[in-house]
Amino acid sequence: MSQTLFLAISALGLLAAVGTILARNLVHAALYLVAFFFIVACQFVMLEAEFLAAVQVLIYIGAVAILMLFGIMLTRNVQGDDTTTPASGSTLPALVAGLGLFLVIAFGINNHVGLQDRAAWSATRTRPSIVAEAGREPPPRAGAINAMGKTVGDEMMTRFVLPFEVAGLLLTAALVGAIALAFREGDEETPRRGGMATRASGATEPSGVGNGREVRGSTSPEALTTPSRS
Amino acid sequence: MSHDIPLNWFLYFAAASFSIGLMGVLLRRNAVAVLMAIEIMLNAANINLVAFWRYGTPPQGEGPLTGVMVAIFVITIAAAEVAVGIGLILLCYRRWHAADVDRFDSMSG
Repeated sequence: MSQTLFLAISALGLLAAVGTILARNLVHAALYLVAFFFIVACQFVMLEAEFLAAVQVLIYIGAVAILMLFGIMLTRNVQGDDTTTPASGSTLPALVAGLGLFLVIAFGINNHVGLQDRAAWSATRTRPSIVAEAGREPPPRAGAINAMGKTVGDEMMTRFVLPFEVAGLLLTAALVGAIALAFREGDEETPRRGGMATRASGATEPSGVGNGREVRGSTSPEALTTPSRS
Repeated sequence: MSHDIPLNWFLYFAAASFSIGLMGVLLRRNAVAVLMAIEIMLNAANINLVAFWRYGTPPQGEGPLTGVMVAIFVITIAAAEVAVGIGLILLCYRRWHAADVDRFDSMSG
């Protein structure tokens, strides 16, 4: 039962991943990516890490995918969708690299032998049980798996307190960095004119499309008021 | 538990996802699509971490939740990476008016 479920979910996940990298429309690619994130959350549930599945849904689907959609929205190509197609020359090397990497990893998974006194993990068919037997103390993992949120909090404050602080520092730095990178609206007009000049001199721009966005921002109020005057 | 999922299946799924992500990084030219493929690769690595945590037997003195904690930190770093990456892509888009990694070549000699 669980094996069948795993195979079905994995097939869906691989299809979603392939759709992500092959979809011409970037919005479709982002939606495929959401499907892949959800499949990964399902895999976490199958690995009995429900807290991690919730974190996956909240952070990846709720934040990362939405950020991707904003990125797609803000970088909509003025040339149309031709830059979203795969580069013509790099298809074969990409396929060779991907398939070669998969073959190497699969070979490694298949041919693993155990280190000195341990059995090979490639022979692991079942996971350690967390069901407490009568009269014996429960396995060490049982508490962690049954109350994962509490255990994660405890671990964050004791064993992983230094990585926790460093991750907080990293998030703060990333926040400040992202704002510093994307923010330049202090004097709004001058850089935009500069951008318009470089865009007008670009040789690949189709005429009439290039400066549409900037011009629309400055002239649309007049364009709106002109018919009412006349 | 005789019909439990073997550990190898999770590993094969993670390897396949990682390979697909690598293909996406090499195949796509749009920077946002490249970022998406990188996210696929990070997720594949996370599956490996959690699968080994669940199927392995912990040595003495190890915490009860090591794989999950590492996966949580990976998720944190991936979120930070995406935020900075989208900021960089927006900056490059403003300068070159294309979200196309082939055109971000001003540092190539």
